Amino acid sequence: MAGIFNSNFDTLKTAMDVQLKRQELHAQNIANAETPGYKRKYVAFEEYLQESKMKLKLSTTNQKHLPTFPKVVNAKEVVMKDTSITNDKNNVDIDMEVTEMTKDALRYQVLSRLISMNIDRYNTVLRNTR
Amino acid sequence: MQSEFNIMNISSTGLSAQRFRIELISTNIANSETTRTANGEPYRRKVPVFQELVRDIQGRKENSGVIVKEIYEDPSQFRIVYDPTHPDADENGYVRLPNVNIIREMVDMINAQRAYEANATAINTTKAMITSALQIGR
Repeated sequence: MAGIFNSNFDTLKTAMDVQLKRQELHAQNIANAETPGYKRKYVAFEEYLQESKMKLKLSTTNQKHLPTFPKVVNAKEVVMKDTSITNDKNNVDIDMEVTEMTKDALRYQVLSRLISMNIDRYNTVLRNTR
Repeated sequence: MQSEFNIMNISSTGLSAQRFRIELISTNIANSETTRTANGEPYRRKVPVFQELVRDIQGRKENSGVIVKEIYEDPSQFRIVYDPTHPDADENGYVRLPNVNIIREMVDMINAQRAYEANATAINTTKAMITSALQIGR
């Protein structure tokens, strides 16, 4: 059964997981925006995705084989940035944090829409083949 | 679902912390002229000390927002004002008044309010995300 669902679902699901993790870190950063010594946390995901795209390519034995990209990238990391904005060594910029959070929330909603559209395509096929 | 709701918990700890901060600011302002406290000294300015909270859940580290570690009493000097008519004036006519600067407390309050609103925005954003996830497959 798993074979009939394309790799889109895996990629979208991973991307949604990353956006959710980002939201958690935005919430943590905003909650600690006034905590002395606190350093902002963020997820470095796209850089890892690019890296792993270069490294992992399916080997092709036949000219007709299409090289594909890896289905799932598990490189999710929480990184603390080493900068300072205020005297108490806290480097959270609240305005930037809220803006980034809003953007990431929109990306999450776009991804959930894409998943819905993918599911819809299967529904269309099922409905029209009687 | 657990992690989505945990995100809301993180933001709610932020709300609590900022609300507590505003409470202390109000206490400072209300007691800006208080010369007698339980320990006989004039009132000392109080400040909350925030600390990041990361809990250990079954070996995993989970971000859990912020807590108030302690209430810190500002050790800076009291204001010395010459007023021989004050009941708590010393033999030279000087009164020690609380080390509370009203302007500074007001500015602090504005910052606390802004931080509070940012946390509230975070909760609304998370709610919108969960709602959109519920639309999948509908």
